[in-house]
Amino acid sequence: MLNLVGLIAVGVALALPQVAIAGDAAAGDHRYHQSCHACHGPAGKGVSSYPKISGNPVEYTREKLKAYRAGQKIGPNSGLMIMMAKPLTDEEIENLSAYLKDAKYEK
Amino acid sequence: MKHTVKKTLVASVASALVMGGTVAVAAGMDVPIIKATPVLEGLDKPWDMAVRADGTMFFTEKCKGLSMRSPNGQVTNIYGMKGSSGYSSSGADLFCEGQAGMMGVAPDRNFDQNRRLYVASTSDKYHGSGCKSNFERCDGNIVMRLTLSEDLKSVTDRTDIVTDIQYKPFESNQPFGGPGAHNGGRLRVGPGGYLWIAGGDRHRGVCPQSPKLLCGKVLRVDTDGNAHPDNNPPAGFDKRIYTYGHRNVQGIDFRPSDGKAFTAEHGPWHSDEITALVNGGNAGWDPQEMTAGRGACPDKYCGYEPEQMDGMDPAVRASYMPMSDTRFDDLMPPTWNNNGWSQGTSSAAFLKGENWGIYEGRLATGVLGIGFGGTPIGQRIDMVGITPDGLGINAITRMPVGFSKRFRGLVMAPDNSLYVAVDEGEIYRITATSQQ
Repeated sequence: MLNLVGLIAVGVALALPQVAIAGDAAAGDHRYHQSCHACHGPAGKGVSSYPKISGNPVEYTREKLKAYRAGQKIGPNSGLMIMMAKPLTDEEIENLSAYLKDAKYEK
Repeated sequence: MKHTVKKTLVASVASALVMGGTVAVAAGMDVPIIKATPVLEGLDKPWDMAVRADGTMFFTEKCKGLSMRSPNGQVTNIYGMKGSSGYSSSGADLFCEGQAGMMGVAPDRNFDQNRRLYVASTSDKYHGSGCKSNFERCDGNIVMRLTLSEDLKSVTDRTDIVTDIQYKPFESNQPFGGPGAHNGGRLRVGPGGYLWIAGGDRHRGVCPQSPKLLCGKVLRVDTDGNAHPDNNPPAGFDKRIYTYGHRNVQGIDFRPSDGKAFTAEHGPWHSDEITALVNGGNAGWDPQEMTAGRGACPDKYCGYEPEQMDGMDPAVRASYMPMSDTRFDDLMPPTWNNNGWSQGTSSAAFLKGENWGIYEGRLATGVLGIGFGGTPIGQRIDMVGITPDGLGINAITRMPVGFSKRFRGLVMAPDNSLYVAVDEGEIYRITATSQQ
């Protein structure tokens, strides 16, 4: 009986479309201030020679952070980004991506 | 004799009590009220300012150009860079890239009569046959002498007085490795009206100790760009060089009590430094490979080694690649080294005026904030008390401005307020009010 229930559950799960878990923007804001704010400035606006990283789709930021975490070089400051992305979990990447999508610096 | 000694002792004790009491009262009473007020917001990478007695402020934006804020708050864009719009005129040779662009600005000491401003910028006008790789000469930084119109809203003459400060043209395998790295760029007019130009090593190992290349140097020149007659660099060096062996100087100012020059510069994952300059002295930075016990380094530059992309104890890194190498006999030892950390010291300005109370005469030092390998980010302005011999500090206090930002440019105004540019896009006026 239990095996039958398990099989049904697996079947239902497989039948459902894959849905990414939405990141928590508030948690992303907190994480951003721990690791990213000093270089990229408030709300990811970009400061000095560090680029603007806000206003991008979640998919874009997620892809870039995962690439850096995997050690891929993308541009001249990749060394710094690879170091900063190394400790990020999947959940933190989702949260950061959600926060940066709509982050705005109002001044 | 005995009597005399006794009298002297009594007088000394009395004097000490009075003086001690005075000091105690002063220390307790004359902590000024410090207040920061935004002057301009929404700027694009503001870098440096020059303020006149009437409140007129000239300022640079690294990728846009030179502008002026009138005392009534109106902003006029005076001299733009390639691609800028809305400026009275532009220099088609001026460009920005990475850390480089339009940077320092300083007024002539006779500005009221000649309306001359000195401006540092990156330029492609003097590349000549160089700049084909990172391992050859690339003259890409200049100092311009601009004469303004009577209404101060346009440039009537531009004369390039220094045209051969090196620039990094290509990406290299370093942290912050993009073109334009370590570009220095602060200008100040010092005692006697001479112009001081602070430079960076542009990620080239041979630069700081080279006798001829101007990268990694502090220059002292007249208003035509000629060497100060009293500059005393080692034999064979370019006579415009006041000090050499620098990494990336973005802060320079002169102590009000004796005119002595002090610099502030970024450290390499360790040891930001304030240094008391000595004419002809060596700041001790030498990032060449195959030197001082080091082997080959990425792109011939050992400046972040060892293991440049990984965090490690700053003291261990400092022992391998020191900021101030003690093997140099002419070393200028640092006044302060930020407790061995690198957090990105940028601009610096001595606090002038009794309104600063107990902080009068201290060196306000802006810190950009770099949190790498466990180092606290540390965005702040420190007020550093420097010993009379310039070789140490006797006090350090964080300026209570109420916020933390990337403090890029600091300069005193004639009214003894401090103007501060932050990378986030604002310029603040910081006032101090004495409580006595």
